[in-house]
Amino acid sequence: MDVVDIFSYAWGGIKLRKLRAALTTLGIVIGIAAIVALLSLGEGFRIVITSQFERGFALDVLTVTAGRGLLANIITGSGSEEYLALNDTYTMNEIAGVRQATATLSKSIGISQGNKTYMVTAVGINFTEYSTIYSTSFQLEDGSMSLNPANDSIILGYRLHDPWKNGTILFNVGDYINLTWTTGSITKPIVKRYTFHVVGVLKEIGGISIFGPSDIQAYIPITTAQKIFETDQVSQIQVQLVSSEQETIDSVTNSIKNIYGDKVTVISPSAMLNTFSSILSTVQLLLAGLAGISLLVAGIGIMNIMIVSVIERTREIGILKSLGMKNKTVMTIFLCEAALIGLVGAAIGIVFGLGLSNFVTNFVFPLISTGTSQPNGQGNRVISNIVPVLTPTVCVGAFFFGIATSVLFALYPAWRASKLKPVEALRYE
Amino acid sequence: MAPVVQTINLHKTYMLGKVPVNALRGVDLEIESGDFVAIVGPSGSGKSTLLNLIGALDRPTEGKVIIDGVDVSTLNDDELAELRRRIGFVFQFFNLIPRLTASENVELPLAIAGVKKRQRKEKTSELLKAVGLSERAGHNPTELSGGEQQRVAIARALANEPRFLLLDEPTGNIDSKTADMLILLLRKLNEERGVTIIMITHDLNIAKQAKRIVRILDGRIIEETSNIAT
Ligand SMILES: Nc1ncnc2c1ncn2[C@@H]1O[C@H](COP(=O)(O)OP(=O)(O)OP(=O)(O)O)[C@@H](O)[C@H]1O
Ligand SMILES: [Mg+2]
Repeated sequence: MDVVDIFSYAWGGIKLRKLRAALTTLGIVIGIAAIVALLSLGEGFRIVITSQFERGFALDVLTVTAGRGLLANIITGSGSEEYLALNDTYTMNEIAGVRQATATLSKSIGISQGNKTYMVTAVGINFTEYSTIYSTSFQLEDGSMSLNPANDSIILGYRLHDPWKNGTILFNVGDYINLTWTTGSITKPIVKRYTFHVVGVLKEIGGISIFGPSDIQAYIPITTAQKIFETDQVSQIQVQLVSSEQETIDSVTNSIKNIYGDKVTVISPSAMLNTFSSILSTVQLLLAGLAGISLLVAGIGIMNIMIVSVIERTREIGILKSLGMKNKTVMTIFLCEAALIGLVGAAIGIVFGLGLSNFVTNFVFPLISTGTSQPNGQGNRVISNIVPVLTPTVCVGAFFFGIATSVLFALYPAWRASKLKPVEALRYE
Repeated sequence: MAPVVQTINLHKTYMLGKVPVNALRGVDLEIESGDFVAIVGPSGSGKSTLLNLIGALDRPTEGKVIIDGVDVSTLNDDELAELRRRIGFVFQFFNLIPRLTASENVELPLAIAGVKKRQRKEKTSELLKAVGLSERAGHNPTELSGGEQQRVAIARALANEPRFLLLDEPTGNIDSKTADMLILLLRKLNEERGVTIIMITHDLNIAKQAKRIVRILDGRIIEETSNIAT
């Protein structure tokens, strides 16, 4: 029996039980749709996140922190014994390949207006050095920046000035604002306060910032920061390189490591991006795996239906065998039925999956992001920018995965059909 | 001339739970090409069992079935399937495939044997014409009378030009008038086309139309008679 005949015979078998076939197909549709939706949303998410990071990133700036890195500090449960100080920038400036090093000191603070308090990060910087290193993003929209700023100068990120982008101004140049923060222990917190004078507002940067300037930070002179936060440490040292080539990144990283040993961690933006990208991929795979469970259920459904179908068609199988059909042809017919169901299910599932992900980005995500419009709501911008992306690999992969699942779960019923004894099958009522 | 079918000391024992049922207890039978044999005997005497063994649908417990000089017991499942393509089966309950039309049912064994589509169509319409059902080609079995269904089954059985036709009570489910016409058709096929026919029947009048009658009782052949005057 040739392939065309086998397929048309299998198709006849499906047509015989339309509703049953439709319901079985629905299982595959749901499974594949879930996988496609999650993967295309995940891919869209990854693209948005990566591009947002790239906007905030300066690829030629290394970030040096004390200790073995943030994660290690969390695991060991202690802050690092080691710390970096202002004069470490001098050491780093000496290293070949370094154009300019500058120190920053960050602290979570509250800015109050009326009865509302916004939690933001205050970053102590050297205005001159910082603005040269991040010359593309640290640009003033309004106000002016003195090379020798007064101690109470503060420069605001754009979203602290115009958080909703509709002209409802939160703080403006010339305003005096109160920064509050707590010291002391958790049980006995002491609230401290300092008044700053807004001297500038940054242009909108966009994106999410881990290192480097951001729309939701406030910048104060580092000397003031060290004084009011009562420390001689700095949080990070940003090291701008003469180029963003990997060679330079590696050589400067090595030089810093040679000088400081394990006392510091050097993070390069490109390495961060790679790590981040691979974490996202893993998460995506995990999601796809979860969606795969629904496909597993669909597969079991197919197996169940096929077993019933084989039992119902025992006599037919007996007839086919009495007419000289070989066991493997009987098996192929049942596998073809499953493959056809898988094929139709996968094709519809891909379309549905795309539809579903578009529905989510167009109708569900806007609901989430309008609900929580806050000046510090970075996530909202990410969510509202997601466009589902279906890569050809995912598309083709999902298609064949759908077919493969149905065929795989049909193997056992099809095998049972092929092994029926002709006489017994013919006697079956 | 070597017989088309030969059985040697054929035994078949079914196990009903732990109780053995001896359906056949040593059957020796030879059927020549062009023969028309009627197998008669009371219910449960082992007629169907014998026919299934001759048709390579089942394997004997003991003894041999030799078809065209080949010992069937030496064949594997695939070879048996290929052998069955050269044997035409007709069953009491027609056993047509309900979702296929009359002509598709007739075409099926040709498709299974790998005959090309165009040849299949030709052969199918020729066969339906031979059994007088050209007009009913596009009908499903449910739309046909018992006699018509049985004629479709005969056309299907003849599709691959079988070495012999095996019919298990072909008239068991149709009225006597239709049955007479069916036997007429079989005789015509036997006389004009030289088709070898082996047929089980309860009806002695029908058996008399055959060239030879084999009588079976309790799994053994007890009598063989030749009808000279037909
Ligand atoms: N698959 C089976 N399992 C157990 N016993 C069987 C099986 N097939 C047939 N038998 C038994 O073998 C014996 C012969 O059966 P068979 O069907 O060959 O008789 P038959 O002559 O065709 O009868 P009928 O005229 O009623 O069709 C019977 O006793 C029957 O019960
Ligand atoms: Mg019988």
